[in-house]
Amino acid sequence: MENRKVRLALTKGRIESKAVDLLEKIGYDVSELRNKGRRLILSVPGEDIEVVLAKPTDVITYVEHGVCDLGVVGKDTIMEHGGKFFEISDLGFGKCRFALAVKKGTEFYKGYGVKTVATKYPEVTRKFFEAKGIDVDIVKIEGSVELAPLVGLSDGIVDIVETGTTLKENGLEVYDHVADISARLIVNTVSMKLKQERISEIVRLIEENCDDKNN
Amino acid sequence: MKRNDLLTPEGTRDLLFEECAAKRTILERITKLFESYGYSEVITPGLEFYDVFNGKVRYFPQETMYKLVDGKNRLMVLRPDSTMPIARLAATRLREEELPLKLFYNQNIFMVNPKDSGRDDEISQSGIEILGGNSTAADYEALVLAAKSLSACDENFRLEIGDSSIFRELILQFDCDEEESENIRHAIEIKDYPSLDKADIPEALKTLPRLFGGIEVFEQAEKHLHGKALEARLSRLKKLCEDLSAVIPSEKIRVDLGLVHKKDYYTGIIFRGYVEGYGLPALSGGRYDTLLGDFGREAAAVGFAVNVEAASKVFLKKIKANGEAIVKAPDVLVFGEKGSEIVALKHCGELISQGFSAYNFLGENIEAARKYASSHGIRRVDIVSGAAVATEEV
Repeated sequence: MENRKVRLALTKGRIESKAVDLLEKIGYDVSELRNKGRRLILSVPGEDIEVVLAKPTDVITYVEHGVCDLGVVGKDTIMEHGGKFFEISDLGFGKCRFALAVKKGTEFYKGYGVKTVATKYPEVTRKFFEAKGIDVDIVKIEGSVELAPLVGLSDGIVDIVETGTTLKENGLEVYDHVADISARLIVNTVSMKLKQERISEIVRLIEENCDDKNN
Repeated sequence: MKRNDLLTPEGTRDLLFEECAAKRTILERITKLFESYGYSEVITPGLEFYDVFNGKVRYFPQETMYKLVDGKNRLMVLRPDSTMPIARLAATRLREEELPLKLFYNQNIFMVNPKDSGRDDEISQSGIEILGGNSTAADYEALVLAAKSLSACDENFRLEIGDSSIFRELILQFDCDEEESENIRHAIEIKDYPSLDKADIPEALKTLPRLFGGIEVFEQAEKHLHGKALEARLSRLKKLCEDLSAVIPSEKIRVDLGLVHKKDYYTGIIFRGYVEGYGLPALSGGRYDTLLGDFGREAAAVGFAVNVEAASKVFLKKIKANGEAIVKAPDVLVFGEKGSEIVALKHCGELISQGFSAYNFLGENIEAARKYASSHGIRRVDIVSGAAVATEEV
């Protein structure tokens, strides 16, 4: 049967560059990954590993279908997108959080009217309010969510907050914490079993060389 | 306005030619296997009452079932599973039959997958159910037949065994509410080590999902999992895995003590089969000792289903990789000249009775017949004109 290389999917952008640093630290030859041009599949010379670059939700899709064995993707995407895979390691980088933010001074949880929440992450928002037993109307926004409460579309937003500067500059503040986010290492459920030794070895190397882990 | 008249619904597809041949080959091999072990075939309706799947415990979330209503406005579903209808059958029409009963089926199940997930909504399954009988012997038999079914599509399979009661025992020891137990179960199922490590739960629950691999896993398990009931379960499972290696090569037997499915009917061993080239388990099954009781006939049972779609996909890929053809071209193309159509058909019959396969060409002229033969890999052309037959090699 096909004996293809172990395939690792990386989320393009910031997670990718952190992950490439990590691979370099392990001792892998990352020259192709640094000079990738427009290529989307890259090899790691001297190793039976191939690296695929993809958008966050696609990393999950590729791993779920087993065409990639491992993936590095943000917890935000995992929470929003879901899927069947093993989520075995918190890599610690790409740290930020999901928060509920409102116009400064607003009491979101007070009163009995149904509130409206704007977000790029309707699933995360739905689950958060469901767990709290609060009925809300959710509006999906694609761009800058901070705009929604300012123009009166919503009472609050659920979004990723890193430093809080954007919120501040727009007269918003964090009202409640929703969840912590960081980059996760995910593994296809069948690969984990069929290629257990090789995958455990790669996972061990990644975890050992991951300085951001658990701090 | 018709918009969908040229499409198949999402999650379904037309199978063509070699796909059909691959699927039929797998079905025939598995059916032959089940029959040779003395299993009896059953077919249950594609449509069932919603109530069959909506008992005391809801194993199938309603949003994952295709629903419709019958003439009396009662809610129906396209069967999402074959085990529950067979449990219904065992408690009704097979009520008088003595146990143990060994049944097998080849039928499709239906489920609603998340939009754009690329998963099949209609899946063809072949499976067995052993109702009643000595549980240990039945477990062995189910596992051996599972391994044999997997090898029908790929010799390079893995059969993974776990026991759903191990998690249940551990949760009993821990004593937490249902919500917390479900959260832990979910984290174990997806091997979410980060959140388990952070959680304030016993070490054994954190270790459970990490206990997978070959039979050596039991050595580690003995260090981490304690308690009389638990140790008894572990040693039973260990013995089962060791004994199986008399029939199944031991490198194909894997263990995962962290196998915990969501709200399933499994009460004892659970197992899955993996084949290379398919991202999901190609076989799944387990022991369900309470399900028949839900339908009014108390009996222990064990069974499994092979995902025939997955198995045939992998099988076809393998055949193509080896450069073999699964669909063979006919041996002879027969063309009857004008007025000799019926003679041509008679000639086809004669060829077939001699052991050839014959394709009766329906086109206009000899040139078209020769062209068809060469483009379809048919090596011999017989041109029939009255009583004369001219044979040409292409």
